[in-house]
Amino acid sequence: MLPKQTPDRLPSHPTQEIDRSVSVTFNFNGRTVHAYSGDTLASALYSSGVRIYTRSFKYHRPRGLLCSAGRCPNCMMTVNGIPNVRTCSVLVEEGMVVKQQNAWPSTEHDLFSILDRMDRFLPVGFYYKIFHRPKQLWNIVGPIVRRMAGLGYVQTRVVEENNYSHETRHVDVLVVGGGASGMSAALSASRRGKQVMLVDDQQLLGGRLRFDGNLYDGIPGVTSDVGYEIADNLSKLVTRNRNIEVMLGTTAFGLYEGNLIGLIQGRSKVKLRSGKVILATGIYEQPSIFDRNDLPGVMLSTAIQRLIHLKGIIPGRSAVVSTCDDQGYRSALDMLKAGIRIVAIIDSRERFPNELLAARELQENGVLVLMSHMLIRAEGTKHVVGAAASRLSDGHATTEEREFDCDLIAMSGGFQPADSLLRQAGCELSYNKSIDRMVASPMPDKLYAVGRVIGNDNLGKSIVHARSVGSGVAEVKSADNALSTPANFMHESQDLTEIKNCTAPSPIDLSQGAKQFVCFCEDVTARDIVRGIDEGFEDIETLKRYTTSTMGPCQGKMCHKHFANIRAKSLDNVDSAVYTTARPPVTPIPLGALAAQVHTPIKRTPLDRKHRELGAKMIELGPWYRPHTYTSSSNECLSVRNTVGIIDVSTLGKLEVVGQDAKTLLDKVYTGNFSTLKKGQIRYGILCSEDGTILDDGTVTRISEDRYFVTTTTGNIDVIEEWFKWWTVGTGLCAHITNVTSSYASINVAGPMARDTLRKLTKIDLSSDSFRYMWSRRGMVAGVQTLFLRIGFVGETGWELHFPAEYAEHMWESIMDAGKEYQITPFGVEAQRILRLEKKHLIVNQDTDAVSTPLSGDMAWAVKFDKDDFIGRSSLISARDSGYSEKLIGFNMKGSEVPEDGSPIVSENLPVGRVTSSRRSPITGQGFGLVWVPADMAEEGKVVHVRVGGENLPAELTFIPAYDPDGIKLRE
Amino acid sequence: MLQLFQKKRMWRKSPLKRHYDVIIVGAGVHGLATAYYLGKLGITNVAVLDKGYIGGGASARSTAILRANYLTSQGIPFFRESLKLYGDLAQELDYNMLFTRSGRFDLGHTESAVFGLRMRSQFNQMHGVDSRLIGPDEIKKLIPVLDIRQGKHLPVMAALYHPPGGVIRHDAVVWGYARGADRMGTEIHPFTEVIGIKKNDNKIIGVETTHGFISAGSVVSATAGWSSTVAALADVNLPIVTHPLQAFVTEPLKPYIDATISSANLHVYAYQTDRGEVVIGGGVNHYPSYSQRSTLDMLETLSGHVLELLPALRDVNVMRQWAGLCDMTPDYAPIMGKVDGLDDFFISCGWGTWGFKAAPIAGKCMAEMIFTGRVPELIQPFSLSRFREGKLVNERASAPAGAIH
Repeated sequence: MLPKQTPDRLPSHPTQEIDRSVSVTFNFNGRTVHAYSGDTLASALYSSGVRIYTRSFKYHRPRGLLCSAGRCPNCMMTVNGIPNVRTCSVLVEEGMVVKQQNAWPSTEHDLFSILDRMDRFLPVGFYYKIFHRPKQLWNIVGPIVRRMAGLGYVQTRVVEENNYSHETRHVDVLVVGGGASGMSAALSASRRGKQVMLVDDQQLLGGRLRFDGNLYDGIPGVTSDVGYEIADNLSKLVTRNRNIEVMLGTTAFGLYEGNLIGLIQGRSKVKLRSGKVILATGIYEQPSIFDRNDLPGVMLSTAIQRLIHLKGIIPGRSAVVSTCDDQGYRSALDMLKAGIRIVAIIDSRERFPNELLAARELQENGVLVLMSHMLIRAEGTKHVVGAAASRLSDGHATTEEREFDCDLIAMSGGFQPADSLLRQAGCELSYNKSIDRMVASPMPDKLYAVGRVIGNDNLGKSIVHARSVGSGVAEVKSADNALSTPANFMHESQDLTEIKNCTAPSPIDLSQGAKQFVCFCEDVTARDIVRGIDEGFEDIETLKRYTTSTMGPCQGKMCHKHFANIRAKSLDNVDSAVYTTARPPVTPIPLGALAAQVHTPIKRTPLDRKHRELGAKMIELGPWYRPHTYTSSSNECLSVRNTVGIIDVSTLGKLEVVGQDAKTLLDKVYTGNFSTLKKGQIRYGILCSEDGTILDDGTVTRISEDRYFVTTTTGNIDVIEEWFKWWTVGTGLCAHITNVTSSYASINVAGPMARDTLRKLTKIDLSSDSFRYMWSRRGMVAGVQTLFLRIGFVGETGWELHFPAEYAEHMWESIMDAGKEYQITPFGVEAQRILRLEKKHLIVNQDTDAVSTPLSGDMAWAVKFDKDDFIGRSSLISARDSGYSEKLIGFNMKGSEVPEDGSPIVSENLPVGRVTSSRRSPITGQGFGLVWVPADMAEEGKVVHVRVGGENLPAELTFIPAYDPDGIKLRE
Repeated sequence: MLQLFQKKRMWRKSPLKRHYDVIIVGAGVHGLATAYYLGKLGITNVAVLDKGYIGGGASARSTAILRANYLTSQGIPFFRESLKLYGDLAQELDYNMLFTRSGRFDLGHTESAVFGLRMRSQFNQMHGVDSRLIGPDEIKKLIPVLDIRQGKHLPVMAALYHPPGGVIRHDAVVWGYARGADRMGTEIHPFTEVIGIKKNDNKIIGVETTHGFISAGSVVSATAGWSSTVAALADVNLPIVTHPLQAFVTEPLKPYIDATISSANLHVYAYQTDRGEVVIGGGVNHYPSYSQRSTLDMLETLSGHVLELLPALRDVNVMRQWAGLCDMTPDYAPIMGKVDGLDDFFISCGWGTWGFKAAPIAGKCMAEMIFTGRVPELIQPFSLSRFREGKLVNERASAPAGAIH
């Protein structure tokens, strides 16, 4: 049940980000909730009385607002069907549908919370120790565990339009973090003419100063002295500055090689290259460690300040504050001013911070302050009803306890730098004991940091430093990182003694209960961590993997410091407080925003319309659509063999290789000889990689002394173009490679009547005496300048015509008209495959694989060992000399079955070879094709067995092509 | 059950001795499995050294998919035996590794891909591996959330369905082997980097480490990512090129997909862990590198591709991305065994993207070889000399998500 809305917000104040004149309603678990414009879902729910936001990952404990800044996992709900939304960082919109998750039947009453009472049986890593005996047990328990784990449900039906957007940008300087330091750095960089982008993950600029009412004296160049006014003034300067582009609600989620930054703003992703990057990401407040520190009503002290100042919400009536530094007092004073009774301030430090204005004011108001005390537990089951503190002695809680009633606990367990981007960039951090914080070592190139992220907690000094970094990066051409090297900076501009008493390590006493949570995402307690160490997982990386600390949705933002400190303490080595590897993204990012548009463009040949008119059945082959058949493959085959066929081969890869070294290049990349090719002559060639395996094949035609025309297989053109260019550059040759695949349309006309057909369209003498097989000509065909290649992939007299793609339809129609009297028939890929198979021509990647060589592929004739070095030569020589294990050979089935491509060749019931291409022969009506068999099995006439439908059927091996083995037809 | 309440160390800390019978370089899953099986053969004066933490490197970054649906007559029986060992490993090591046989689906979207899958199914069956080709209707029935892309570019035409394949908690496997080896007396020394390998003529005599020289009867290199650099310390040149491989996980979700799927045409694979995170990965980066820094390009590409198959993940958040190193061999098969002309040096490397799946059987065979001095039949095809003899094992087509470089 939802309590009635409590409209008791604070009076209006300049820091508030809500607009009371605009009211917004949304649906929460089926009920209507009223909110103001500017509310986040979380603040609106809090204002309407919701305290339990979700249930925890492992124990299903009730969880309420913790950070209120989009960092922790405690307010995740399913919003508009999207699971795991951090409701504290989503502004309310009219009509939103919000549901709670990870609880049954409801978040308020979750039956799975029984797990919380079974915690004795569920210590860290419990699942590694049970459920594996008897063996089948895990099959039963596993699915149950899976159901318990996880957080939200994925909505399996995608209803909304994909409204993610992507952009690529470039700026001179990127500043991450819109607090005082970030803004100051941006301003000074922009004043030196740089294009600056300033991003912040909150909805307004100002960082922590937005909710800071403290006075700051004597900051040079700053007109006001109240925190939020300083923020406001700076933010006005920034917004007015035309050289600064501000992106709010934007997280820089990844800092990649070369200052490539990923930015996410709602559903838009920006991929940004920035000349320089200044990180002003600030710090994250950390929880205190005490029993039941996860109860709803226990919040970070800054979260309370955010609620009060930004949303005008009074988060409770009476509060206990647990702190180890000045922050607790500042928050306490804010609460006091908002009308909350401060029951007690529990400070683990020894000395009362007299110099702190807030502390004195609290004291004057009669607030109880207990120094040298620590909070040891929160009372309550579903919400805080009280707290207990104990006096500290030697860093441990004593039995001197005091109990308090309260409905709110503010905790400040120290700070952790928001250093994820720093660490992603390879910057190492080391522990600085005097400020109980990790600090960065010298920065990588073109990366700078200012403000609290590098330990500069003094606002005035931080602003001054940020200005100098801002102007520095704008002026310095080469990276002069000295200006933000924290080591220098720490010595010169920060007086450590000044803050010495401000921070003491947050005390942790493991004896004070089993519910001292360190990692809120994964429900890992302090005891779990110590237990992990006791079991031998001492290294931080193994400890992380065993306990799963830092591995949840917050990725360590709420736990890294305590996790590392507890480990260091257990090992009695504070200096060994190291952090685990930082990995992108800083904040979880929806897949849709990241997803590169998958561009798989479909390529159509210039004759595509013709094929469709003819009713061709089209198939996808790589990126291309090609005709599979027009009528039937057997008809089409017969036409080619008996009269004349026409096929669109425009998809062939086509390269022009031009230059004085063109011939040298081709000799280098092909296994055959091409420098000896005569002008006009064509030769088949094989390309190998260094290991002698077949990369591609095709024809090479010498057009003139320094000009060659090369065809590649359809799918390999891009690879081969790169390959040619690579070797051209690598060997310093003078050759120019132009990919002309789409410039030329290509048509193959083949069959006994091919000559008669083409003769009508050209003056070129096509007689065998004048235009021989494997020779080329250039001339006009049907009025179009055409390169004529006499080659014969399908085994008949035929010509391959290459001509400007614009004339494709004209050429096709002309040839069809000319061939009409011979019943010219268009044929598709399927017929072509059968026809070439009858000629035993292999198709690269169908009949060859990653280890096939020209030698094992029965094409030793195409390898010229007697020429100069070529790619793959030495590998092929060693293959030639030491033999190879498999060989490609033809086969003819003895019975009527046709094996499928991929069928095994069987010997003694084990597969020893494989069929790569198999079809029914139009000549014999029986199955035939190509097969890889062990080299010693590859004998003419040998009978092997092919596995077809569970049976082993006999087939006879042969090296001889099924059709026209001597190639007489080709040459006719 | 009892161990639930015990606080026993998984492995001891011991001072480094000056001599061991066997030194294993690399405390990943391969090194530790080798140590474990050596222990079972009675060889326990063994040290496993690592430059980092236990189970770091490639083991920590593995995406933990187990399967045996390989392509070649050398590969299938080898991985079949490994999967068999994995099946009983939790009982063998008394450590639950959360092995779930959710089944593996290799999707084919083009005719030529289906041709390859069909070949694998037939070869698998003949070698006693349960895998078969299934059509789109059956795929849809088994994985309802999968978009089978009817009427779209690259429709799912068929899948190689391999029911015994699944997912294991990779870290637990490492820890289980480490504990098993430790209990038999083997020492594990993390943060002890090998910086030199000492030879006397053609015999290995020990290793130089960051903690001094240690002599050894035999040295085993079971490193991944740096196997060629470690071998180079012994002047052994390996035909290995190292490429980064990247993956990422989403935030935890309630059960969404109960299978591991892989598409070579869309260059992506995915499955959901017991914790509810969806793990998504693809092929290796096209360029060789030792960088383990993730890239935005790969995150974008993989995200784009996985949404082509699992569109409902569109609004799900990516939580973490990472990169590991893969030692790729020319034929996509491992290199195991002795090195000709160098006594007492054993290598188990070239594990590319298929190392984790092979660890138990590889460790067992390596141990047997060190113990008997003979190369077990199962790993004979994977010798280093095959590259000289031209007897390559062609597993390229069975690499995950077409991990082709």
